[in-house]
Amino acid sequence: MAEQLLEQVRDVVDGQIDFEGQRLAELIANVALSVSGIIAFLVGFYLQDIKLAVWIALGGTILTFIVVVPPWPFFNRNPVKWLPVGGSAPRVQPVNLVLEEKITI
Amino acid sequence: MYSSLVRIQNTFGFFTTVAFVVAAFIAASDFVTPRAPVVNVLKTTNLQVVRGRPHYYSSKKEEYAIIKFTLDADLSSLFTWNTKQLFVYITAEWPSTSVSGTTLPSNVTSNQAVIWDTIITSPSADHLANIGPIALKKLRKSAAGKPIDPSRGKITLKNQRPKYQITHPSGKIAETEDVTLRLHYNVQPWVGVLTWNQNADYGLWNALGGGLSKKFNLPALKKKDEGKKAKA
Repeated sequence: MAEQLLEQVRDVVDGQIDFEGQRLAELIANVALSVSGIIAFLVGFYLQDIKLAVWIALGGTILTFIVVVPPWPFFNRNPVKWLPVGGSAPRVQPVNLVLEEKITI
Repeated sequence: MYSSLVRIQNTFGFFTTVAFVVAAFIAASDFVTPRAPVVNVLKTTNLQVVRGRPHYYSSKKEEYAIIKFTLDADLSSLFTWNTKQLFVYITAEWPSTSVSGTTLPSNVTSNQAVIWDTIITSPSADHLANIGPIALKKLRKSAAGKPIDPSRGKITLKNQRPKYQITHPSGKIAETEDVTLRLHYNVQPWVGVLTWNQNADYGLWNALGGGLSKKFNLPALKKKDEGKKAKA
């Protein structure tokens, strides 16, 4: 029971996402950070307020972290489809054996 | 980007890049902001040379010049969003040949000593001002709601006492000739390079207009009995 719980906690902390999700996360992170930097500069320059610029940039960064870091469901929309384990076909050990035999001969 | 830890590292890594680039742009924005500092009036109002000691226990006696002055300057164009604070100082300058009976190296051709200075903070840097809590409250109130306050760059001083009484390595400063006062400033930005007053125009930054007083001579040493008479 304790181990199951530990496993769940590990999953949440790990926060693994699928391959498409990884591509999306990287795109979101780069675009959001760049845009918040540009907005921070422009707003700060036009209003001549450097504190505002810093807060916009930091706010944008925190938002980016919130969007990108947790394993949100939209990062796991394309799970990898593994082949069935074992399945109906028996283990194909004989093939290996044959190969080995051939090599030895 | 497969796990939370990797996403944190990647996002933070790119954040540092963005922060650096934005800072570089902020520093560069200084160069597209015109500067036109001007000094309308800079003149001496009262000159005095007295004898004194460099510190309480010193047996050495030196001459000290007390130069009172009047200043009217408009440095408001130096206050932009990237200005943290402005350091303004006034120096007295004189050629070293005019001091008789001194033994200075021959490569020393001029003397310069600061007689007065001040720090003008931008509203974004008021918390850095080294003043008491009541004065700080007053300062904050004076620029409430304003991200920058160029009016702080307007300096008007009348018959201002110098902060520093100046002397010379030789200990003699009385009757020095051809002394001038010069106003200097140093712009300290939030990000970017420090800049000082210029003697020539660079791009949109104009040289400091005025900023140099007329030549004057320091008076003779104040006689002791004269001082007593003045007190009496």
